[in-house]
Amino acid sequence: MTTLATPFSAQVNLIQPIIDGLAHGAAYGLLGLGLVLIYKSNRIFNFAQGEFAGVGALMTYMIYTGYSFLPKLPFGLAAVAGLLAGILTALATERAVIRPLFHRPRVVLVVGTVGVTLLLIGVEGLVFPRGGALPTVDAVVGLDTPYLTKIDGVPLLYQNLLTLAVLAILAVGAFLFFRHTNTGTAILAVSQDSTAARVVGISIERISMITWGIAGLLGGIAGIILAVPPAGTVLPGAFTGTILTVAFSAAVLGGMTSLPGAFAGGLLMGLIEAFANADYSFIPGLSSLPSAQSEVAVAVVLLLVLLARPQGLLGREV
Amino acid sequence: MVIERAGRGIALLPVLAVVFLLPARSDTFGHFGAYGAIFAMVGLSMNVLVGYTGQISLGQQAFVGLGALTAANVIDTGTVAAEPFTFALGILAGVGVAAGAALVLGAIALRIQGLYLALVTLVFGGVTADAVFTIPRLNGQEAGVSAIRPDALAGEYAFYLFALAMVALCLYVDIQVRRSKIGRGLVALRENELAAQAFGVNVTGYKLIGFVISGAMAGLAGSVFAFWTQEFSDKDFTSGAGFSLALTFVVMVVVGGLGNRTGVVIAAVFFALISPSSPMLGWLSNKTHWGSFYFDHKFYISNTIGAALLLQTIVMNPGGLGQVVAPITRWFAGEPFSFHGDADTSTTGAQVADVRA
Amino acid sequence: MSELEVHGLTKKFGGLAAVGDLTMQVNEWEIVGLMGPNGAGKTTAFNCITGFYKPTGGRIYYDGQDITGMAPHRKAALGIGRTFQNVGMVKSETVLENLLTAQHTQAAYGAMAAIAGTTVVRQREREMAKHADAILELLGLTEVRDRRLGGLSYGTLKLLELGCALAVEPDLLLLDEPSSGMGPEEAHDLGLRLLALRRELGLTMLLIEHHVPLVTAVCDYVYVLDFGRLLAEGDAESIRRHPAVITAYLGEDAADEPAADR
Repeated sequence: MTTLATPFSAQVNLIQPIIDGLAHGAAYGLLGLGLVLIYKSNRIFNFAQGEFAGVGALMTYMIYTGYSFLPKLPFGLAAVAGLLAGILTALATERAVIRPLFHRPRVVLVVGTVGVTLLLIGVEGLVFPRGGALPTVDAVVGLDTPYLTKIDGVPLLYQNLLTLAVLAILAVGAFLFFRHTNTGTAILAVSQDSTAARVVGISIERISMITWGIAGLLGGIAGIILAVPPAGTVLPGAFTGTILTVAFSAAVLGGMTSLPGAFAGGLLMGLIEAFANADYSFIPGLSSLPSAQSEVAVAVVLLLVLLARPQGLLGREV
Repeated sequence: MVIERAGRGIALLPVLAVVFLLPARSDTFGHFGAYGAIFAMVGLSMNVLVGYTGQISLGQQAFVGLGALTAANVIDTGTVAAEPFTFALGILAGVGVAAGAALVLGAIALRIQGLYLALVTLVFGGVTADAVFTIPRLNGQEAGVSAIRPDALAGEYAFYLFALAMVALCLYVDIQVRRSKIGRGLVALRENELAAQAFGVNVTGYKLIGFVISGAMAGLAGSVFAFWTQEFSDKDFTSGAGFSLALTFVVMVVVGGLGNRTGVVIAAVFFALISPSSPMLGWLSNKTHWGSFYFDHKFYISNTIGAALLLQTIVMNPGGLGQVVAPITRWFAGEPFSFHGDADTSTTGAQVADVRA
Repeated sequence: MSELEVHGLTKKFGGLAAVGDLTMQVNEWEIVGLMGPNGAGKTTAFNCITGFYKPTGGRIYYDGQDITGMAPHRKAALGIGRTFQNVGMVKSETVLENLLTAQHTQAAYGAMAAIAGTTVVRQREREMAKHADAILELLGLTEVRDRRLGGLSYGTLKLLELGCALAVEPDLLLLDEPSSGMGPEEAHDLGLRLLALRRELGLTMLLIEHHVPLVTAVCDYVYVLDFGRLLAEGDAESIRRHPAVITAYLGEDAADEPAADR
């Protein structure tokens, strides 16, 4: 039997890319939520979002393993420290870079966040230049196998399920936060008309602090969930280098202002990547695709969305 | 007056001594002098795009890499030294291909603007590097593509002088662009697109010209880089290394002062010297007990310093280094020395705020 | 022959017509005024004529040539100069550099020549600088030649902007509120200057202006817009007494018109 005679579905394992795609996509969505949040409140792209995750993951790792002079603590406490590190980094960014530039053109703030990204990568590297990885959820809890079940031989990892669940909870939580709490509404008010918001007595400084704090928390959560084997690492710049641009694309796909949009955009990006990366060598002439198929696919999707539908596929204010 | 000008000329001598004599001292110094020259060319290319045209680019490493890739592949010397003719051809091809790629990005920038353009340039740079540079037929796989210099430039000092001449060429182009209708048109577009149009400046054409000139300079830098390392290896430009380069180039032009060529060149050389491939920090750390710390962390030192300088610049000193050295450059230009200068005659160009977004 | 003819010009934003079915004509050597309360659509009409907006309907002829929808930089090259309501120049550059920028269409050399810095380029640049100096002399601005725009007064800027519009070497000059920010005396001087410019350079002008004494002093003919439609037209004196015009101005609402200047 020649390969050509076999049906498509038998040649391409559809389960593998779907599961991979959703798992990676959840990561993009998780970072995308933070990007959307900052965009909603400050109308800027926060290039430092990936490194908020990096700092969170690194702090968790260092305390979990008792690096250098740090105490060695159980994973739960280490994770709390990691989340705090993410929040504090974001707050420091807000205070030292964003606040002084508040009334300058947005591009200055964006270059500022690029600077913070570089600085965080640098400082992470100076503190901890080697790589590492956090334990997966099954290892922390002490389960026998890392997967819940296997579908067609492809394991459905607990870690991936956790990522998806956390992403869904956060997206819904953030949605409710913006819809139903005073602080959430105030953030939206500031983003739409800061002068009017000030007139009705909303403190823009306080709102900015809160937003960045939440972004730092989201970053920290993303870092702790994603810096696990096999793909994730605790390496300076890892989140910015490999995940952030796709997370941005996810957020743009979702319209940059929509939290559910970032969620859906993330999953879609993950799937696009996974299917672009699948093995198509059985198709004659496609045996030597460039090794960066998924990156090209992401770039093409981003460009098409920006050119054809700049408001995103789901773009509208929540 | 003439005597005074001559006196100021004498003050330039130490600068000239550092530029021409220090790299002659040893091959190491010559080698890294050329590295500084390559960075200076990239700095000038960023200056045209970000400083004059006001278009942000987080993907400039792609043009540098394309220049290097093309030059190396055109010449593909194997183990013999290049003929001067093919050498020139390789460099020109590098310039041409990079300029062509910049034209494509420019065309995209006509449709996508502001913060989204920043994102697109970032993705463009990453994808070009990761998808094109890794094609096995182009990158020579593990061995890389060799680009051995012609015999005349085999010596490090000779090659340094060649690189310096290329910087001079970029500076010449920069100066001509800035003082002709092209530079005025670009700056007018950056600051007031409507007024520029009313003056008859063709928005589409001029944005593309800005991208092409910038891309050509970056391509030149890349071609020279290929002959500096004497091979093309995609690892210099892909993934983490490429990302780091791209951001360093942005840092360079902002810290140097947008639109200020003196400041940008100084900043570019500075970042070349503190980059992971530079011997300077290594040499310094060998003299101190920080040696092992340096070798463990050298990839992060330039990031940290660069980021700190960038943040300091945009928060506290928006004019960049160019503004700081403005009194000195003014003095060399024959004006009286003054720290404040007449704000009206300041040579400072733009700030980050003037980048269109 | 008429220099500028506008036939049934319409510009809609969303469903709203900022300019509706405007027909007007500016003859050679004429100075024509365009009046109307804020939000009447004057600047929108300007932006359509100069190409910054594409009209929704109607045609625009310049020198008998249909220029509807042509890009602004091409209209500038044809000899249509304009000023903006908020000063439209390059802030970070000097007065001289602005005047050189404004001579863009006369810088007859190619990009490659410019980069190479050929003698042709240098020759042309010298001529342009001379022309700039002549304009500065004409407007009495020689003193500020090498100053950056940042430190100049609003009145000086408005005057310089006129200079830049002149540097385009226009046959038709569109001025958007040239007297804004000026006191009565300055406005009076401006009027004399405009008349002198017409005499010396043979210019045709269309100006948006609120300052009635200036309009009366310089305009041969006046069009009045209200809510995007032509309310009245005639010579300045008859317009001043036109009952509909008086009502429109007294009933003026403060809504901003959609301005091209950001």
